[in-house]
Amino acid sequence: MSPLQFAWRSLSRQPARAWLGLTGMAVVGALLFDMLLLSRGLLVSFRDLLESTGFDIRVTATEALPGMGPALSDAASTAERLRGLPELADVVPVRFGSVALDDGDADGGGLRGAKRRGLAIVASEPRRRAEWKVVQGSDLAERGPGGRPEIVVNRAFAREEKVEPGSLVRLGSAPPAREFRVAGIVEFPFEAAGERMAGVTLAGFLDAFPAARRDEADLLLVASRPAVGAEAAVAAIRRARPDLHTFSIEDVLERLRQAEFSYFRQVSVVLATIASFFALLLVTTLLTVSVNQRLGEVAALRALGFSRRRITADLVAESALLVGGGGIVAVPLGLALARALDSILRRMPDLPQRLHFFVFEPRALALHAGFLVLAALLAAAYPVLLAARLPIAATLRKESVS
Amino acid sequence: MSARAAIVEARGLAKVYPMPAGPVEALREVSLTVEPGDYVAISGPSGCGKSTLLHLLGCVDTPTSGSLLFEGRPVLALREEERSRIRLRRIGFVFQRFYLLPMLTAWENVELVQSEAGLPAAERRARTRELLTYVGLADRAGHRPSQLSGGEMQRVAIARALANRPGLVLADEPTGELDEETGEQIADLFDRVNADGTALVVVTHNLALAGRARRRLAMRSGRLAEPAAVAAT
Ligand SMILES: Nc1ncnc2c1ncn2[C@@H]1O[C@H](COP(=O)(O)OP(=O)(O)OP(=O)(O)O)[C@@H](O)[C@H]1O
Ligand SMILES: [Mg+2]
Repeated sequence: MSPLQFAWRSLSRQPARAWLGLTGMAVVGALLFDMLLLSRGLLVSFRDLLESTGFDIRVTATEALPGMGPALSDAASTAERLRGLPELADVVPVRFGSVALDDGDADGGGLRGAKRRGLAIVASEPRRRAEWKVVQGSDLAERGPGGRPEIVVNRAFAREEKVEPGSLVRLGSAPPAREFRVAGIVEFPFEAAGERMAGVTLAGFLDAFPAARRDEADLLLVASRPAVGAEAAVAAIRRARPDLHTFSIEDVLERLRQAEFSYFRQVSVVLATIASFFALLLVTTLLTVSVNQRLGEVAALRALGFSRRRITADLVAESALLVGGGGIVAVPLGLALARALDSILRRMPDLPQRLHFFVFEPRALALHAGFLVLAALLAAAYPVLLAARLPIAATLRKESVS
Repeated sequence: MSARAAIVEARGLAKVYPMPAGPVEALREVSLTVEPGDYVAISGPSGCGKSTLLHLLGCVDTPTSGSLLFEGRPVLALREEERSRIRLRRIGFVFQRFYLLPMLTAWENVELVQSEAGLPAAERRARTRELLTYVGLADRAGHRPSQLSGGEMQRVAIARALANRPGLVLADEPTGELDEETGEQIADLFDRVNADGTALVVVTHNLALAGRARRRLAMRSGRLAEPAAVAAT
C-alpha cells in the first residue's frame, strides 16, 4: 500500500476532518489564487491593451503622460525624420482634445445645451495604421465627399447621439462649429465604459480646434520593425532625438509597476500571506490532532518496523491530499471569485473598458501549484516531527495504561 | 548451549529512567537468552519492568547499560534504521490493545507489513491468505477491525506479527483485553505458532497462558528469576 493510498484511507476514516480540510483549503486556495491573478493582473492587462494598438513605442516631449504635458512641436518633420530610421516600421503623430458637443438642433439648442456632454477626440493619421478598430462603416478618409472632414465615433457616442455612418456631427471648441461626416463606428483600446470618444484626422483636429497650434503632437506612436525589436528601436530614436522621451511598452509597464500598480501587488502579497498562514494553520491543526489521536497506532507501526521515513511519507501524503485536493477545487472557485471581484473593481470610473484587475496567466497556475506543494510540506512539518520523534516504548506503555 | 546462534542474548541489562524525584530503575542486571523455537513467559507484579524488558528485547528501546545481541548483532551499535529493519523482518509484536489499523481490512492489516518489507504482490497475496487461514479468519478477510470481536482482532494481529516470518514474536499481555475462553483460543494459537518454529516471549498475568510456556520467568523489581523451568512435554 503506497503512502498515498494509505493517506487516502486515513482521510476516509474521518470524513468530517477530510471535508473540513478540503473545504478550508479550497476557500483559502481560491483566495490565494486570486491574489496571484491580482498581483500581475493590471500589468498583463495593460500590456495587452498597449500591444493591441499595434504600436510598441511611444515618443513624447516630456516625461509626463501623453496628453498631460507639453506637446511636441514640429510634429510632421519629427515624424518624417523618425520614419527615416531603418529600425522603425511606422510613426504616427497623435493629438488629444476634448470638446463640448454642439447638437446642431437650432430649436432645442438652449434646452439641450444644458445636457451637453464632452467628447474626447483623438486625432491621428489613419491611412497609416489606425489606433482604433472599425466595427461598422469605414475608416477615416483625409476628406470625405463634398470636402467635409470625416469623423469616426465610438459606440457610446453613436448610441447616445443616435448617429450612424453617414450622419453629420457638429463639432467645435469655439463657434463656429464645423460639420463632420461620420465615416464609421470604431472601438478605441483605452475607452472607458460610457466614455464618448471620436477620432479625426490631424487636419480635422484643426477644424474642430481652430485655435490649436499647427504641427503639434501630444504623442508619436511608433511601431518597431519586428525583426529589430522594441529595445533597439527605442535606442535608435534616443540616438536620433535625445531631447525627446522615448519609451517602450516595457518602460511604461515598469513605471506603472513601481508606482500605481504596486498597490495591488502589495495588497495581494499581504492578503496572500494571511491566507497562506490560515491554510497552514488549518491543515497543520487537522493533521496534528489526528496524529495525536493515533499516537498508539503510530508507535505500534514503528514497533512493527515501519521506518520513520514511511511514517513521514504517509503524513506528507495526507497533507498533500488535503492541500492538493482543496487546491485543485480552488482554481475554478478562484476564477469565479476573480470574475466577480474584477467586475466590482471595474466599476471605478474612467477605467479603460478592456482593463482587468484579475487576469489569468499559465504562470499563475504554476505558481499556485508551487505554493500548494510548499504548503503541503510545511503543513506536514510539525505532525511529521511529532510522529517521527515519538518515543516508541514510552508511547506504547502510556497508551496501554490509559 | 544450542549449537545455533541465540535469537536474543541479553547480558546485564539495566534501564534507568532519570526522573525529577530520583532515577527509576526499571531493570537491574537482567540476563536472558532466547533460543530459536523457545517459548518464554514472563510474569510479575505491575511495574516490575516486564514491558521495559520486552521493548529492549524487541529492539524498540535501548538499555542504559548491559549488552544485547540480536541474532548475533550488537543492537546498541546499530542505527535506528537498522533496528527498524530488524523489527520489520525478524520480530513480530502482539499488543494488548491489538493496534490494528481501523481503516484497513483484516487482509490489508496483514499485508501492510509485507509490503513495507518489500515483498512482491503475488507472494504477499499467498502469504496473507495462508496466514488468515492459519488463524481461522479466512472468511473475515474483508472485515475491518470494528467488525471483528476482540479475539478475532488479536488473531489478525498475530497473523500480522507472523507476516514477515520473524524468528521471534513478542507479546505484551496479549489476552489482557479478552475473556477467559477467548484467551484460551489465543493460547492455543500461540502453541501452534511455537510448534511451527517461532520463538515466543509472552508477558502475561494470565496463569493459563503462562502455563503453556516452556520457560516461565518471574520478575520482581526489575530482576528476573526462574522459579521453575517447565520441561517441554
Ligand atoms: N518512560 C518511562 N519513564 C519513567 N518511568 C518509566 C518509564 N517506563 C517505565 N517506567 C517505570 O519503569 C518501571 C517498569 O515499568 P514497566 O512498564 O516495564 O512495568 P510492567 O511490569 O510492564 O508493568 P505492567 O504490568 O503494569 O504493565 C515502572 O516503575 C515504571 O514506572
Ligand atoms: Mg507492562
